[in-house]
Amino acid sequence: MGQHENRVGTKELVAIIFIMMGVKVGDDTPPILYDVLKNAAWMGPIIIALLTAVILFVLFKVASAYKQKGLIDIVFHLFGKYLGWIILFVLWLGISAATIIDSSIYSDIIVTMYFPKTPTIIIYLLLMAACTYGAKKGFGQIGSVSWAVFPYITASLIIALVISLRNGTTAFFFPFFGPGEMEVIKESIIKTSILSDYLFLFVFIPFMKDLKSFKKASWIGLILITLILIGGIMSFLLIFDYRSVQMLDYPFHEVIRYIQLGFLTNVETLFFPFWLISSLVRFTVYLYISAVIMGRLFKINNFEYAIPALATVFVFIGYIPESPDYLIFHLRENLLNILTPIFIFLPFILWAVAKLKGDLRREKTN
Amino acid sequence: MKRLTRVIVFLLCIVLLAGCWDQKQVEKHAYVFAIGLDKGEENDPIEVTYIIVNPDYGSQQQGGGANEPAFETITFPANDIISAKDTANVIVAKEITYDIARLVSVSEDFAKEPDFIRWMYDLTKDPEIRRDLQLLVTKEKTSDFLKNNKPVLETRPHEYYKQALERGKETSMIPFSDLLTFFRITETGEDLYLSMYGTLEKTPTTNESTDNFKAGELKASGISGQAQFAGSAVFMQGKMIGTLTAEETRLAYLLNNTLNPQGMVMTFQDPKHEKYKVAGRVSLDSPAKVKLSIRDNKSPKINVHIPLNIKIFTNHSMVNYTKDYSKKEILKKSIEKELEQKMNTLVEKTKQEYKAQPFGWSLTARKKFSTIPEFNSYNWLKKYPDAEVSISVNVRLGQFGRQSEVPKMKELRK
Repeated sequence: MGQHENRVGTKELVAIIFIMMGVKVGDDTPPILYDVLKNAAWMGPIIIALLTAVILFVLFKVASAYKQKGLIDIVFHLFGKYLGWIILFVLWLGISAATIIDSSIYSDIIVTMYFPKTPTIIIYLLLMAACTYGAKKGFGQIGSVSWAVFPYITASLIIALVISLRNGTTAFFFPFFGPGEMEVIKESIIKTSILSDYLFLFVFIPFMKDLKSFKKASWIGLILITLILIGGIMSFLLIFDYRSVQMLDYPFHEVIRYIQLGFLTNVETLFFPFWLISSLVRFTVYLYISAVIMGRLFKINNFEYAIPALATVFVFIGYIPESPDYLIFHLRENLLNILTPIFIFLPFILWAVAKLKGDLRREKTN
Repeated sequence: MKRLTRVIVFLLCIVLLAGCWDQKQVEKHAYVFAIGLDKGEENDPIEVTYIIVNPDYGSQQQGGGANEPAFETITFPANDIISAKDTANVIVAKEITYDIARLVSVSEDFAKEPDFIRWMYDLTKDPEIRRDLQLLVTKEKTSDFLKNNKPVLETRPHEYYKQALERGKETSMIPFSDLLTFFRITETGEDLYLSMYGTLEKTPTTNESTDNFKAGELKASGISGQAQFAGSAVFMQGKMIGTLTAEETRLAYLLNNTLNPQGMVMTFQDPKHEKYKVAGRVSLDSPAKVKLSIRDNKSPKINVHIPLNIKIFTNHSMVNYTKDYSKKEILKKSIEKELEQKMNTLVEKTKQEYKAQPFGWSLTARKKFSTIPEFNSYNWLKKYPDAEVSISVNVRLGQFGRQSEVPKMKELRK
C-alpha cells in the first residue's frame, strides 16, 4: 500500500476524526435528529456515542489480535476470499454512497446559502477536483493537512456556538424528554450510523504508527465529536426552538447568518471559509477510503491513480437527482438507516468469528 | 515545463476568487435598506416598496453625487418579494440586492389578512435575507409611511431607523421584534407575538396615563413628517389581531420572564397628592419569576413575582419621602398597587380579547411536562383564558435623584 514512509500519528488522526464526524454539525445531520427527537435531539449524540464506544471496544479487541492488519485484511482473513469480498463490496458501496450523497448535499449548501447564481455542477466539480488533488497525495498528507487546519476549524466552530448559546433561551429545553424517553433511545440507536465513519477508519490501521496511537486517537476523537455535536445541536435549539429548527435545512448556516459579533453584522463570511476547508478535507478522506477499498476489491495496486476517475463518477451520480431538497435528504436518511445495522452488527460478527477461530486467545497468550 | 504548468494552474485559480457567477460589484448594485409590503390592488397579490440607499451620500469625497438625495423610495405591484427584485429593474438601473436590508415594514391592513403569513415565508427563502431583520407594522399603507417619513436631522435612512428603533427598544416603548422571533412564535402558535408599531398619522387622544398611547397618539408639534414609534402590533399565529399601547408594551416586557428590560422611565401616581405624579427609572433586579402549577389537567395557576428597583426622580408634591420612612413605605405600596392593578388589567385583556398571552408563559408551562405529546394534549392555548393569574410586584426604592431633599412648601412660602 505504499506510503509507509509518512505514517500518521495520534494528533493527526484526532484531527481527521474530528473533521470527518464533528463537522457534521454544520450540515443536515442536526435536522435529521431534530426531526425525530425534537427538543431532545441533543441527547442523541450521547446515546450514539455510548453505543459507538461499545462498538469501538469490540473492534479494538479484534484489531489487537491482528497487530498491524487493517479492516480489509481482517475481513479477508476471517471470512475467506469470497464471503470477505462480498462484505467488503457492501462496505465499499456504503462509503461510496455516503460520499456521493454527502458531497451532493454540501454542494447544495454552498449553492443555496452562498452562491445562488452559480450552477451546482461547477461548485460540485470544483469541490471534488480539490478533494481528488488532496486524496492523490496519500493518507500521510491528508493527516498533516487535517492537523494543520484543525485548530482554526475548532476555534471558528466554538466561537460560533458560544455566541449563539449566549443568544439562546434555555426554556426551549423543555419538555425535557421531547417525544418521550423510549422514543429518544430508539430513534438515537437507529441513527447511530452518524458515527459509522469509525468502521471505515479501521481500514487505516496499516497507515498508522502503531495500534496504540490509533486507539488513543479514536477515544479522544469520540469525546470531541460528542461534545461538538451536543454543543451545536443545543445552540441551534436554544435559538430557534424545536418547531422552527425542524424546518431548517441547514441550521448552522442560518445561525451564522443570525448572530452578530459585537458591531459586526454579516459574520457568516468569517465562518464560511473554515467550514469549506473542513468539508474539503472530509471528502478527501471519504474519497481516499473508497479508493483504498476499491483497490483491494478489484486488485488495483496503484489505487491512487484511480481516484480522479472515481471522483468523476461520483460527481455524475451525485448530480443526477434534480432536487436535492427532496431526494437527497431522503436518500441520506435511508442510507443512515441501512448503515446502522451494518455498523452495529459487523463488529460483533467479526469478534465472534475471530473467537471461533481461536485468534483472540492466541493474542492473550502472546 | 512542470513548473510552468503549475504556475498556470495557480493563476487560473485566481479567476475563481471572483466568485464565478456570483461575483458582485459594489457599484453595480442598488442596496435596499427597507422592504415594505402592502396588500395589492385588484389582481396583484402584493405591493412592494423599497427604500434604496445612496452609498455616495454623506461620504467624504462627494464626486459626481453631491446633490443626490440620501435615498429613494419606489413602490410597485409584485407577486412576491423575490421576483420583485427583477421587476424593480424596470425603474431602477442597478441590480437589486437585499444584502444590507435591515427592516421589513408591513401595513396594518395587510398584516390583518389571513393570507399575510404566506408572503412572510418568502423571507425565509432568499439567501440574502437574514433572520435578524426588524419587523415593523405601520398604521397606514407602508408605501406612504416609507415615502413620507423624512426626518430632518438624521437624513440617512439606515442610520435613522437603526437609532430610532434601538432607542425605542431601550426605553421599552416598542417591543424587540425580529424575523427569527416572529417565525418562532408563529410556529409554536402558543403565544402572541409583539411587533413594533409606527405611524405618520397623528391622532392625538387624551389619556389618564402619560405613557398610555400608541404611535401617532402623542401630541407632538414642531416637527413635520416624522414618524412615531410606540406600542406594539399583536400577532396570533401569523395574523395581526390588535395593538398594545406603549405602557402595555412596557408591562408586557416586565411580565415576561425571558426578558430583562433595563432603564425605562415610568410615571406613577403620587400617593400624597392626587394632582401630581412621580417619575422613576424602573429596572428589574432579576427577570420576573413565574411560578406555574397545573393540577388534574385543568387551567394553570400562574404566580408572577416581579422584583423592581425604582429610582425616583421627581417630587412635585414636595413631600419628604427621603427621610420619612413611613411616607416612603406609602409611596412604595402605592407604586406596587398601581403596577399590579395595571398588569392585572393587561392580563385580563389578553385573556378576554386575544385568548393568548405575549409574556412567554407557555415556555414555563412546557417545563411542567416531560414529553411533547403530553404538553400537546394538555392544549395550553385552550387552557390559558381560564388561568388564575396572580401578580405581585415588589418595589425597592433606590436613590431619589441627585439632590434627594426638597424643601417643604410651607417653609418655602411662609
